[in-house]
Amino acid sequence: MPRSVVVTGMGVVSPLGFRLEALFDRLCAGESALAPIAGFDPKGLSGAIGGEIADLNPAVYLGKKNYRPLNRAGLLSVIGAQFALERAGLDEESGDEREIGLVLGTMFCSVNTIASFDRTALVEGVKYAKPLTFANTVINAAAGQTAIWRRLRGLNSTVAAGATSGVQALAQALGFIRGGRADILAAGGVEEFCFESFLGFHRFGLLAGADGDTPRPAPFGPGRNGFALSEGSAFLVLEGEESARSRGAAPLAEVLGSGSGYDASRGADRRQAVAASARVMRRALETAGLAPDDLDCVCVAASGLPDQDAFEAEALAEVFGPAGAPVMAIKGLLGEALGASGAFQAAALIQAMRTSRLPGAPGSDPPDPALPELDLSAQTRELPMRFGLVNALGFDGGCCAMVFGLPGEAP
Amino acid sequence: MERIVVTGLGVVSSIGVGSRPFWEGLLAGRCGISDVRSFDTSQYSVRRGGEIHDFDARDYLDDLEPDQYGRAAQFALVAAKLALSDAGLEGAALAEAGGVCMGTTSGEPNLVERFNDAFVADDIDGIGPEFMALYPCHNIAGFVASRFGLTGVNPMMVPAACAAGNYAIANAFDRLRAGEAEVMLAGGSDAFSRITYTGFARLLAIAPDFCRPFDKNRKGMIPGEGAAFLALEPLARARARGAPIYAEIAGYGLSCDAHHMTASHPKGDGAARAMRAALDQCGMNPEDVDYISAHGTGTRSNDLNETTAVKSVFGEAAYDAPISSIKSMLGHTMGAASAMEAAMCALAVHEDRVPPTMHLEEADPACDLDYVPNAAREMTVNAAMSNAYAFGGANASLIMKKFAG
Repeated sequence: MPRSVVVTGMGVVSPLGFRLEALFDRLCAGESALAPIAGFDPKGLSGAIGGEIADLNPAVYLGKKNYRPLNRAGLLSVIGAQFALERAGLDEESGDEREIGLVLGTMFCSVNTIASFDRTALVEGVKYAKPLTFANTVINAAAGQTAIWRRLRGLNSTVAAGATSGVQALAQALGFIRGGRADILAAGGVEEFCFESFLGFHRFGLLAGADGDTPRPAPFGPGRNGFALSEGSAFLVLEGEESARSRGAAPLAEVLGSGSGYDASRGADRRQAVAASARVMRRALETAGLAPDDLDCVCVAASGLPDQDAFEAEALAEVFGPAGAPVMAIKGLLGEALGASGAFQAAALIQAMRTSRLPGAPGSDPPDPALPELDLSAQTRELPMRFGLVNALGFDGGCCAMVFGLPGEAP
Repeated sequence: MERIVVTGLGVVSSIGVGSRPFWEGLLAGRCGISDVRSFDTSQYSVRRGGEIHDFDARDYLDDLEPDQYGRAAQFALVAAKLALSDAGLEGAALAEAGGVCMGTTSGEPNLVERFNDAFVADDIDGIGPEFMALYPCHNIAGFVASRFGLTGVNPMMVPAACAAGNYAIANAFDRLRAGEAEVMLAGGSDAFSRITYTGFARLLAIAPDFCRPFDKNRKGMIPGEGAAFLALEPLARARARGAPIYAEIAGYGLSCDAHHMTASHPKGDGAARAMRAALDQCGMNPEDVDYISAHGTGTRSNDLNETTAVKSVFGEAAYDAPISSIKSMLGHTMGAASAMEAAMCALAVHEDRVPPTMHLEEADPACDLDYVPNAAREMTVNAAMSNAYAFGGANASLIMKKFAG
């Protein structure tokens, strides 16, 4: 039997609230985070909407400590990790008492910081580029800053796997704990919303409304035309069951299994893309010791992308049968937070299981009739859920899935 | 527990492409440092770098279209091909049996530079889809997975900066042990860039001439570039197909200083905890380690803190374990560095030879270990430890053992 791993803390920083309860209530109320971009100049480009965190006031959360060395990704990561660790009963001294580690998923960490650093050198001259800023250009900067801030002296791993980074980081953390590498890990994802990624995705053709049409970033929705970007961080504290018990930390959920794989066609071949996603969901269920019928909810990757949402719907039908498992699609309201998305999905799914509430997906109901039938509702539903799966898909072939259960429900 | 072995090596470096030229270059003390050619260094007080000159990926992958990939991805694709070919796995149709995990510090920073060249010229129309197609670093692992059909796991980057290669090998080791794949390509890649060069120049960390780790007159590190992959697989599988075996991965240890973004802990606290964790996992004592590959960047703080950390873990045994830094020849290849150093350690345990620390002319009295100065050495290497330390405080120690059946 592999070592039992539980979730003892959760924390989020999102455009729909700075606590998981707040985010979840707003999702259940059908509130959207998406609004016209205000945080930077979108240079007149179309599709300029997103889920920005407008009211990030670090002093409220970080007190009087000097947070100037933190860039936006660093701040989002530090605050989110702090929420999760506090929920797990781990305070600032805990990091000195024991080796707590960190596994952080991110797509870019900060493409804005690395670009700004280079622009300063280009425009003002090399000698004006700041060493402090350079430290934040590396892709593991947020993980390093979070470790410094919270005294996280255990392993410190950054996972960059595109839009699957958040779930892949949770899966890596599960592996580390099961393999005896760590007892307690803060694991999750972070991403910031910035001009560089907005322009990049606009040019790449994935943003809703990039072609000048009205943005319709509705997961599985008819006429969906891409995603809207967003930002934030989400963390789970994963812990060996015996470690949690010895600290008297009550498990919020149990991590039951995970799977990952790849579509070598990178989304170009429908058959391969569907097969890879289905294979990965099945693998996650197998490692959890569950059959598809056991599952009470799937928190999906769907974000409004015309092809990828269709691939996911087909993979769901293949694994769970037509309308086989209730679907929770949060990206229509929250946006696509890239490296943080999968961790947001996991935190929201666990909260749904704990409160027996499945948030609706307004804008996605009724789903695109061209897709296989989905058990998806615009209305928030009361639904008892014991087992749930988080599905993550990259825009470039990456797949990762993870299965959670309520405490004590493990098969 | 499944034993994991190294069955193939692929290296793209400033002293040679391919594991043999790389290894022979290291043993000969060949230095890959030269004047920077890829951008104008007139604004800097230094101008030396470890660039790979005249690299053409099509020399190794003749149908590759270089425009379709960033420089780090081109290095990675060639290193992956060489590692698979070395392991006798090229064209082996591994599919779901195969996977990729790699490290980097900055991925494709050259793409950010291209973005900015257009941006500061007020030409955002000049920024096209290639930025998002090529810049996100996980694509480097994805391109390798697509090209060689390795679909068993989600190809990912573990961008633990200058310790990333070791973090990637550690992840691949765990995945093989967990049965998630049967062959893993693990390694790292980084491309030389004005961004990285500017950063280290502004930290006043770049040496004006050569990288001289542990020398009293050291003047710093020198940025470099390149890629390395190790093909890893369970022993049973390697045996069954009669594969060459360079070495066995005994285990690893990871930690974080949680101290400072760019400076290592002054007592080497995190570095020592990583070494101890690695020894513990392998069930080894310090006396069992015959050779140490130093992180050895050539900065004063690294030299002193690393020496302190090694002594704190090894005690008197520190004086019996030669320790050398190949960054003295290659410069600091960032996310590729510890992957290259792991490839070197696999060869060291295989051939019972260790590479020197070059340019070590006047020993620093504070650094009193055996740094294998200026000449390679023949010695029995039953076990080698490779240390890597990163921005953000991430530390990783890897132990390779001689494969003895």
